[in-house]
Amino acid sequence: MQKILLTIDRISTFVGKTFSWLIVSLTFLIAYEVFSRYALDAPHAYAFDAMLMMYGTLFMMSGAYTLSKNGHVRGDVLYGFFPPRLQAGIDLTLYILFFLPGVTALCWAGYTYAAESWAIWEHSSITTEGPPIYPFKTVIPVAGAFILVQGIVEIIRCVLCLKHGQWPSRQQDVEEVDVEKLKAQMQVKDEDIAKLDEFVAAEKGGDQ
Amino acid sequence: MRKEAWFGLSIMAAVVIGLFVLMPPPSQITNGHLGLLMLALIVVAIMLGFPTAFTLMGLGTMFTWFAYNSVDPSLAVQQTLDLMVQRAYWVMTNDVLISVPLFVFMGYLVERANLIQALFKGLHLATTRIPGSLAVATIVTCAIFATASGIIGAVVTLMGLLAFPAMLKAGYNVRVAAGSVTAGGTLGILIPPSVLLILYGATAGVSVMQLYAGAFFPGLMLAGLYVAYVIVYAKIKPSIAPPLSAEDQYVPLPKFAEVISKTSNNVMKGLIGAIKGKRNADVPMRTLINHLVIALLPALAAALFMGSIYLSVTAPDHVVPSELQEMGFAAEDEEGNAETGDLEDAEEAGGLQAPPAEDGQKAPAAAGAAAESAKGPADGKPDATKEDAVAPGESKPIPTWWWITLGIFAVGLAVLYAIFTFVRLEIFKMLLASFFPLALLIIGVLGSILMGLATPSEAAAMGSFGGFVLAIAYGRFNMTMLKEAVFLCAKTSAMVCWLFVGSGIFAAAFALLGGQEIINAWVQSLDMSPVQFMLLAQVIIFLLGWPLEWTEIIIIFLPIFLPLLAQFNIDPLFFGLLVALNLQTAFLSPPVAMAAFYLKGVSPPHVTLNQIFLGMLPFMAIQVLAIFLLYMFPGIGLWLPSLVYGR
Repeated sequence: MQKILLTIDRISTFVGKTFSWLIVSLTFLIAYEVFSRYALDAPHAYAFDAMLMMYGTLFMMSGAYTLSKNGHVRGDVLYGFFPPRLQAGIDLTLYILFFLPGVTALCWAGYTYAAESWAIWEHSSITTEGPPIYPFKTVIPVAGAFILVQGIVEIIRCVLCLKHGQWPSRQQDVEEVDVEKLKAQMQVKDEDIAKLDEFVAAEKGGDQ
Repeated sequence: MRKEAWFGLSIMAAVVIGLFVLMPPPSQITNGHLGLLMLALIVVAIMLGFPTAFTLMGLGTMFTWFAYNSVDPSLAVQQTLDLMVQRAYWVMTNDVLISVPLFVFMGYLVERANLIQALFKGLHLATTRIPGSLAVATIVTCAIFATASGIIGAVVTLMGLLAFPAMLKAGYNVRVAAGSVTAGGTLGILIPPSVLLILYGATAGVSVMQLYAGAFFPGLMLAGLYVAYVIVYAKIKPSIAPPLSAEDQYVPLPKFAEVISKTSNNVMKGLIGAIKGKRNADVPMRTLINHLVIALLPALAAALFMGSIYLSVTAPDHVVPSELQEMGFAAEDEEGNAETGDLEDAEEAGGLQAPPAEDGQKAPAAAGAAAESAKGPADGKPDATKEDAVAPGESKPIPTWWWITLGIFAVGLAVLYAIFTFVRLEIFKMLLASFFPLALLIIGVLGSILMGLATPSEAAAMGSFGGFVLAIAYGRFNMTMLKEAVFLCAKTSAMVCWLFVGSGIFAAAFALLGGQEIINAWVQSLDMSPVQFMLLAQVIIFLLGWPLEWTEIIIIFLPIFLPLLAQFNIDPLFFGLLVALNLQTAFLSPPVAMAAFYLKGVSPPHVTLNQIFLGMLPFMAIQVLAIFLLYMFPGIGLWLPSLVYGR
């Protein structure tokens, strides 16, 4: 079971990571466009559409990746205090109650939306002769499907947790605040921090 | 299960029970009441800890269907789906939200360029004379670094590893040390370019450029208040922040500088003497010249700055080709005079040897201008009066304030060079390598937005590009670092933007059900004055800041207040600034303040959470004071937008 879960995790991660490189191309596209407009006096009509498409695809396709790393924001004021079984129970209920209907609706709506766009070979109307827009609209159902599959994996995780009383493991990923890494970057060791205690203790003595 | 969890659950149960008690009997329930029910449910669901984006999506979908179903059951499903996908597509093509991934990416790149160490060291050596210098340096470092990177957790952790130990070793009070790290680290939320303001702009439909312009001075004011507090406190009670020992203040000089500083400790005198006299044959000429150029950078920067202002204020309204020659000449004349004045001033005061040739380069075509004007009258006033009468199309006269600014610069430079010792040159070099690249990046990004040269997304992209350049320039660029920044950026953007996808359908449901009207009517029935409303709104947002993340507050709850602003004649821009300041306090308010936990994670075991919380309290009080100041003097926030955008 765990194997299947991790495989789907890996697929979501792979897809998300692949599309996350769009941020680099987005950066360079806009930088080039600004340069081209001001320095070469040659703005490109497609730039605006291209920018939006890159941004939209980037965050939509990273949704499942973020979910697989438990990265979507949650109110963890209370959640953190709950024992794992209660966490899993709440999550399981709400995944079925909120997640499944919401995301299924998004997928289905996205599918018809994109199908209509394909049917008329829709082009962007922001500029005249805009680029085709149907591939971009297809992103909605595709991203929705990935996130739905990942959500089912999360549901299974909740069930497993209810059974065993602890959360199944996840794959490691880069963290926003990775304390160990930051310590290495600053060349601070745990001993150094522990050593500081004497200053704190000394001060406390002085206060009294 | 812990006590806290039971406490929380019982509060939630109370909310739900209270809701059903307050609800009118089933026969009288209108759609509006359903809207309020949905709002209460969302609060409960968020507190339960389910990912907010999907809570919003699920609840929104159901209640939208309810709303449509009450009108026409046969179309309800189709309408719900249509609305949902349109809201999602709106987020995907939102030209405000596009800045989010770009600014986030810039932040991760800058954070990983590892400038913070050099920045802190340079700043704390530069401020040694100020009371509480380490704490001041900490706050300033945080302000600059947090502005460029905007990642609270990382900044607080880094400063907790870097500045916190330094302060403890220097004998600082634990509370002061903890307070300055946490308060400083959270400044990035407010000072533009901040993601919070982008989200507010996208939700409230306020221009992000104006928000940035507006938040600039309140942010500076807050940082300034922090610094002022630390200085005053350290002055009154030196025991909490003892001055640094001579050993800690010691700056090692390079060998050549030690040799020269024996003859003269002043950089300008020493260097020029060494170059002219060739007394120190063992010091290579290159080093001397290089250092002379570095030492002259402030003067050059000032000259460039004044020169560009000069060119822009005296620029003719429209250029008539035939008069070009004459006009250029007049301009050169003025410029030359300015330099001579500058030079004389400085020489009198402290033996500055400003190189006329270098200064002259910034004038339009000034190879000979300086020399020529030196022969001419040294006083600029006759020229200025002569130019008062010029016809349109020629240079405008130079405003008096330009001369005043020039004088201030000249005096400042003179003082600077008079006290410019070799030790200070070393500190200056350190700052040059850490402070100025960051400052340039920030000024470049903000400046281009504020001057209207670039849209926020373009400026953000240029900022990310600058982040690349910084990382490469500092030799920190490699594939691992880039990968980390890219993936983190994707996760953060997905988190924020999916929240918008969810809230889009949720807000639509709320509007369809008419929940907003009930709230509007209720607020109107309270018959409040604008001040009372403002206070109520700020208090509610402050209270929401405890259990909720700021993203959730801005995206879910702020839209409820926004339609009410018009009723009370409150400027949404001003309201946004107050909200931004307000949400900042949420980062410092115990017991949920994230900053404290980040700091605790890297502090020695005897530093307790309570000490950190106590240390944050004065800074929180300062934040409240800042909100009050901004409220009393809206000009602090609104002056810059009105200046730049003529609001």
